[in-house]
Amino acid sequence: MNNGAPIIHRSLKRERDRFLPGTVVSFTTLTHPPVRFGHRPRTIGLIELNNGQRVLAPILSENKPFIGQQVRPRMRLSHATADGLRVYEVAYEALAGKAVQLQKFPGYILALTGPSGVGKSTISRTLARVFSEYAENVPILTTRDPKKSDDGEYVYTTPKEFELLRRAGVIVSSTNIPSSTEKRQYGYRSTDIEAIWNKGKLPIVVTEIRLLKGLAHHYGRQSILSFGLLPPGKSKRAKLSALLHRLRTRGRETEAHIRDRMKNAEHDLAFFLERKDLFDHMVVNEDLSSVIASVKEKVPKFSGI
Amino acid sequence: MEKNIYLVGSGLTPFGEWWGESLRDLMEEAIAAALKSSHLNATEIDMVIVANMLAEVTNNQSGLGALASSLLPHHPPALRVESACGSGALALHTACAFLESKRAKTVLVLGVEKMTDASVDAVSQALMGAADSELDAPSGLTFPGIFGLITRRYMHEFGLTREQLSVVSAVHHRNAHENPFAQFRQKLTPEDVTASPLVSDPLRLFDCSPISDGAAACILSTIHKSPLRIAASQMTSDTLSITERPTIVSFKATREAMSRALKESDIDRSDIKVVETHDCFSIASVINMEDLGFAKQGEGIRIYEDIYAGRTPLFLNNSGGLKACGHPVAATGIKQLIEVGKYLKDTSTQWGLAHNFGGAAASCGIHIMENTNA
Repeated sequence: MNNGAPIIHRSLKRERDRFLPGTVVSFTTLTHPPVRFGHRPRTIGLIELNNGQRVLAPILSENKPFIGQQVRPRMRLSHATADGLRVYEVAYEALAGKAVQLQKFPGYILALTGPSGVGKSTISRTLARVFSEYAENVPILTTRDPKKSDDGEYVYTTPKEFELLRRAGVIVSSTNIPSSTEKRQYGYRSTDIEAIWNKGKLPIVVTEIRLLKGLAHHYGRQSILSFGLLPPGKSKRAKLSALLHRLRTRGRETEAHIRDRMKNAEHDLAFFLERKDLFDHMVVNEDLSSVIASVKEKVPKFSGI
Repeated sequence: MEKNIYLVGSGLTPFGEWWGESLRDLMEEAIAAALKSSHLNATEIDMVIVANMLAEVTNNQSGLGALASSLLPHHPPALRVESACGSGALALHTACAFLESKRAKTVLVLGVEKMTDASVDAVSQALMGAADSELDAPSGLTFPGIFGLITRRYMHEFGLTREQLSVVSAVHHRNAHENPFAQFRQKLTPEDVTASPLVSDPLRLFDCSPISDGAAACILSTIHKSPLRIAASQMTSDTLSITERPTIVSFKATREAMSRALKESDIDRSDIKVVETHDCFSIASVINMEDLGFAKQGEGIRIYEDIYAGRTPLFLNNSGGLKACGHPVAATGIKQLIEVGKYLKDTSTQWGLAHNFGGAAASCGIHIMENTNA
């Protein structure tokens, strides 16, 4: 019996061509899926994509899906073969129970995501300065203590107040960045984002994994103009070493902080591959001016300025 | 049919888990039983058609034609055919074609499957060969999964309830109680079916046909006669993958095969009183009743509800169907024809039908049989 690797490869290639949102036609949960998929029940849907084609694929949903539910694709690691080949698959994420397609389009948010030290803050500040008539940074609400090096991008609060705002639904996206040295929470307030929209401007947010997911979940993925920022370098090692160099030269953090950030950075780089669907553009931060030019070209509000 | 083709002999092994029996043992037993019932000499067989789906995977065996032929003293020419679970009907259809073309006069048709030598996972994966290996299988879907999708959609469109569906297997188990060749002869209540473990939600264990060993053989002839005549033999196909179909709650292959078979036998659907239908999963039986035209769409379950309440004259899956009699894949289609012949004779009924399909009805074979003594 063949191990199925070429079959899976061709199948996946076809699936990638059909990387489209769709609607659940039917679904079933296999109590005992084939051994290669592990021992947990697996929910598989027959999905009609928006181009009319039908596909069979796993459905990812915390609750039981339903017929007629809207789903969107994402790549994920499926399993490893006996030869050690890691097999990725297209799975479909069930959108929240409420009909998402009916959600009012609130406007665009420009999101910059990348590992610590890649230059997110510098780029966002520069964008807000260069395009000050058209865009504005969204302040980050944080529970951590102010630092000398902070440059007005943070609004500080207490953990208690943060929690109250989160429960009240004012904080639309939040994260607790793991750290061995301090407890830090970060989030965005809907009031800040909406105030910028009301001025007719484009909100710019500096995010990481959970913040980006939270924003996409709250406002809808289509509202996020999402840029992934990569450090220069061909290999993962080269990229990480470029980050380390930047973190050390900017001299803001202690070595313990830097170690923490490097650990997170490795995870962040993997996230770019796992959740390609959350990014519209990947930009390598070789130097500031080329990044700004690249973003300018890709953001409709900026082009032509 | 171009010629009169008669069922002159048939034989079955009991269906079940036969750890001590090999593929060859099962073939031998069915052939011996068929020859015995036909009163023919083995050398009068001038062609063998063998139906089998999985021997390469489950038994490391190909060359099944020669293997079957070697069990007869004169080693007649032999041919192996495969159309997944519909292999049995395809073997019958192929035999009819040889007989009609006069290339053969008496054909031994044999269906055999020896599934319990391999692990459940290996068998399950091999059975997925009956779906599209690149469009269907990579998602992790299994056949119970395909029919789980079909069941959920059917329930959504026609409001079938879980409790209603459970009547199907209850009927099949009740029928199998009287069949000495059946794998599961114990009776089940609909409540037992509803309470059985989930396999592919909403399908439960007792909705699913089992993994079985078994063989079925029959002898078809144009020169030797019997009261049982093949009046129609039709094969049709549909897309292999359910993703390429506009609907999954009705099977085009069955509808087409039925309409052609009725035309070929020149009878009305209402003339048919004995039916063996392909109930690989209980939902399949419900859909089959509609596609065969015995019920309107969405109302197939009513036939089973009527049978369970003793209200219908239709003899349906008297063998116990695939669910309770067992489903040694390629033997099933031939077993169905044998069972139909048996009930036509026992009940002096004129017309009976065997409906066998492969995959999710990617191929379908329908045979209509006439009892000329009735």
